Amino acid sequence: MEIEKKFKEVAERYCSVKADEITNDMKLRDDLGLSSLDLMTLLGDLEDEFDIEFEFSEDDNKLAGIVTVEDAINLFKEYADAE
Amino acid sequence: MSKTIYTMWKRCEEQYSDLPAVRWLVKKDVQERSYGELAAAVTAIKKGFAAQSFAHKHIALIGTASAEWIEAYMAVVTSNNAAVPMDSGLPAEDIIDLVYRSDSEGVFLDEKFASLAEKIKANCPLVRKIWMLSGDSVEGTETVANLINAGEGYDEPEQPEEDDVSMIVYTSGTTGKSKGVMLTQCNLYSNIEAVLYEEGPGLVFLSVLPVHHAFCLTMDWLNGFWMGSVLCINDNLRHMIRNIGIYNPDVMLMVPLMLETIYKRLKSFGNDVPPEALAQKVFGPKLKRIFTGGAHLDPYYIEEFEKYGIKVYEGYGMSECSPVITNNREGACKPGSIGRALSNAEIKFENGEILVRGTSVMKGYYNMEKETEETLKDGWLHTGDKGYIDEDGFIFINGRVKNLIILSNGENISPEEIEGKLALNDLIDEIIVTGEDNLLTARIYPEQELVKNMSEDEIAAALQKILDGYNKSQPTYKQLSRLVVRKNPFFKNASRKIIRTEVLRDEPI
Repeated sequence: MEIEKKFKEVAERYCSVKADEITNDMKLRDDLGLSSLDLMTLLGDLEDEFDIEFEFSEDDNKLAGIVTVEDAINLFKEYADAE
Repeated sequence: MSKTIYTMWKRCEEQYSDLPAVRWLVKKDVQERSYGELAAAVTAIKKGFAAQSFAHKHIALIGTASAEWIEAYMAVVTSNNAAVPMDSGLPAEDIIDLVYRSDSEGVFLDEKFASLAEKIKANCPLVRKIWMLSGDSVEGTETVANLINAGEGYDEPEQPEEDDVSMIVYTSGTTGKSKGVMLTQCNLYSNIEAVLYEEGPGLVFLSVLPVHHAFCLTMDWLNGFWMGSVLCINDNLRHMIRNIGIYNPDVMLMVPLMLETIYKRLKSFGNDVPPEALAQKVFGPKLKRIFTGGAHLDPYYIEEFEKYGIKVYEGYGMSECSPVITNNREGACKPGSIGRALSNAEIKFENGEILVRGTSVMKGYYNMEKETEETLKDGWLHTGDKGYIDEDGFIFINGRVKNLIILSNGENISPEEIEGKLALNDLIDEIIVTGEDNLLTARIYPEQELVKNMSEDEIAAALQKILDGYNKSQPTYKQLSRLVVRKNPFFKNASRKIIRTEVLRDEPI
């Protein structure tokens, strides 16, 4: 739950939707207006918040399937758990 | 003295030997290499070229920005060989195709892409050597250390002539096949010379653009080296904002997408924090200048960044012009315009299209005579952009002649290239790719015979599956984010070609 909450708090920095109004089924691009770089940067911010480092590069295929808030949270969880 | 990157680099070696040239991060520690150290490595690699008979050859570079990548690149462009920098984010088959089509005989390969070595060997018979930029050698490759060892006892190879091709940059082609832009030693030299600004050595650049782009190579790296600057490598786009805090740059080059993201971050702090304090937090103590290009920037951002003490200068160019053609600069700036023509570029308009002539205009497209003739006529480069000039000599862009889609990350997308790939699918009868809100949309009229027994949802799901499969193999900027399923075929002209300006007509709402 902490990851989900933090994700939404950080996502708020790059979109006009408030953290508590962000739902998991929202689309990052269409509903939150996040660009690909916004998403990258927000993942970078989360790395700092949780003091972890993702291994994937910006071109990684892992980012291709990230459409909804839930997808992004799951990607983040995958790495946070591995750490 | 001849106008070559070789002579420029010789000057750097003599004048800046003890100064730092490159900084990069290993984990969170900053590493550094001086001009003297960099020059010694560059010379050693060039002697290796002499030992292994690389003279007037094409040498590809596959990898992301690193000190090793830059050493290898500088060795190629200061010898009489030509560098072919590749977009390492492309699918493997596209990279192999470019190595093959560029007639590269040598390849520098980052260890992250080591799996390509075998495929290159199998498909590109001209490739004699693959040198691993980092890590150990894999089957069929050598390391850069091996290359350097081979060069011991050899002299530096002959220096390049002004008209020698120094770099071949691949760029999106409207015919669906990317084109290799041949830039000579003099093309690059004169482009840097024309954009130089008054600065002493020691200026710190943070380089965040993809290193295979002409904009990044010429304006960050070669321009920075010319001035004796320190070039800092951004390890990952995710860390751009963090790295501004680590390196404290004076100057950055960005595409509009980056300014948009940073602006959102600035705004997220709310209005209670004074702009000076916020600028210090986000931009560090020294960043005052951002140069932007690759796509048009909304002038709104120029005004907004100024509130934080940052001057944003928009420029315009294309790989075919090494790449800068016009720029805004200190004392000559008009927001919304792309600035005035560089001193080495002559500009005229033909039916509204911007034409350029000058010492930075490319030699032509490699092995593509027809495309070269279509683009270069009597020495004038047809840019494909429409624009006009105002009474003060500032140029404004107001449209495009060709179908390229320009995203705010500066990537040029050829819709025909994507359409060609997807049209091979049986379920797709007609497809048009368009760009809106910085995203690519696939507009598809499905093959009626195959979908006649399917519901609308089933058709959309089947088409989406095709797009998902395509997206997985593509770098982010080439992915199709949206799908529109058409109920009717597209409107066509007399020769049965789809009329692109009317693709939105008659779409389901």
